[in-house]
Amino acid sequence: MKWGMVIDLKRCIGCYGCQLSCKAEHGTPPGVFFARVLKCEEGEYPSVRQVFLPVLCNHCEDAPCVDTCPTGASFKWADGTVDVDHDKCVGCRTCMMACPYGQRYYNDGDAHYFPKGTTAYEEKMVVRHQRNVVMKCNFCRDRVQAGKLPACVANCPTTARIFGDLDDPLSEVSRLIKDRGGFPLHPELGTKPSVYYLPP
Amino acid sequence: MTTQTAKYEQLIQDLRVQLRPQREWGEGRGLFLVIGHFLNGIAGGAWLMGLIFDSVAGLSVAFVMAALGGLAHLGFLGRPERFWRMVSRMKSAWISRGFLGLSLFLAGAFLYLVPQLIPAAPWSAGSLIAQTGYVLAFVGMITLIGYMGFVYTASKAIPFWNSPLHPVLYIGHALRGGVAALLVVAAFSAPAGGAEQELLWMWIAVTSTVAVLFAIEMHGAFTSGNEAARGSVRTLLAGSMAVYFYIGTLAVGVAVPAWLVFSGWHSLLHARDFMALIGVASAVGDFFLKYSVIRAGTHLPLWTRLRPQI
Repeated sequence: MKWGMVIDLKRCIGCYGCQLSCKAEHGTPPGVFFARVLKCEEGEYPSVRQVFLPVLCNHCEDAPCVDTCPTGASFKWADGTVDVDHDKCVGCRTCMMACPYGQRYYNDGDAHYFPKGTTAYEEKMVVRHQRNVVMKCNFCRDRVQAGKLPACVANCPTTARIFGDLDDPLSEVSRLIKDRGGFPLHPELGTKPSVYYLPP
Repeated sequence: MTTQTAKYEQLIQDLRVQLRPQREWGEGRGLFLVIGHFLNGIAGGAWLMGLIFDSVAGLSVAFVMAALGGLAHLGFLGRPERFWRMVSRMKSAWISRGFLGLSLFLAGAFLYLVPQLIPAAPWSAGSLIAQTGYVLAFVGMITLIGYMGFVYTASKAIPFWNSPLHPVLYIGHALRGGVAALLVVAAFSAPAGGAEQELLWMWIAVTSTVAVLFAIEMHGAFTSGNEAARGSVRTLLAGSMAVYFYIGTLAVGVAVPAWLVFSGWHSLLHARDFMALIGVASAVGDFFLKYSVIRAGTHLPLWTRLRPQI
């Protein structure tokens, strides 16, 4: 069993649904984005188009963040998910320097978005996160263990995100990667990511 | 705009650009990390030079530098109360190895130095305790001199640091720092019989080697096909770090001491104030080089591999 995700760039419309649903699910503090969408203009006038690239932790098989973490706070579950044990993190941010995908965040900011202080939602969802430690996506581990899909997958209106078992050759993710030439980001680094993209 | 809002806006701005600068090491409390690495580098080098030139004062300076470097590292950590956990990943994490090296160094240097400095100490300079301290400090010194470059080289996200030359350069910095520390120490202690001239020769040799290695690394980064590495070199030479690099590193750290060395080789050679000035200027230059190289670190752009396929 190795959890992985396929993101179909042809289907992504850049609605930020994944980013918002992730924020709502995890209550991440301002400045912390487990899932986000990058926008880029490709080509030259008059053949210009906008391309959306949803990004999240790549849950690499050879995760440099896990190797460089001095405390063992960054670790891998048996299903390949890379996670952070916040009780062990010392906040050295070495993992942030090691992650080639820039998908780790240091939580040292305010726990509220508005100047008047925390809202009731923030009291329940945001304040609970440990301060001065590194945070990241864990493929919505609680949801997946409860038999649900990760929030970004479940809330994608165009079903551009597909979640499944990369070790199962018959799973939808494996089939899509094979049939449509799925590719990871920065394969030359040898990190073996578990997030694949389908060309637009 | 509050500091927090400004930081948030900066993050949002960073996320929009292709070449995102690293801000965690070097900005805000990140400065403590640069100071920590700087002091620990000097500590390793100064201990080595102290042993070579048989200078107890040099060894003492190394111990103090290492202790201050350790404190600076603690000041950088988000959760300093958990520092003891940093020894958990010896197999793969250079920070763990560095932490162990610093701990061994501090413990060993303490055991070795106490009888050297306090004649009435409970153990003598030739005792097993002092000899054990010598071995521990020596192992710690090698680790301190060597580990820092690997910490940066292990950062796959930042191609400018991810260079095989980086560890060698950090070893060079440590040696240069050690020579600088001994030059300062020599200004305040009894003469060691021609050691000053040897130190000056050593300073010239190490500085020349570091300069050549640094030039090779910069050339490699700039001519590589990596956009982020080229961006880092631009930041260093013509961007936000240029002022620190040209004034702090080249002017203060190289030109001033080089001028002092060459213009005063015959007349000022024994002027100890000048020796101290060379040491201080050299160390200041090293600090600014480390600071500017760390701050010039630029993350890999995520779009690189996508572009040809879109």
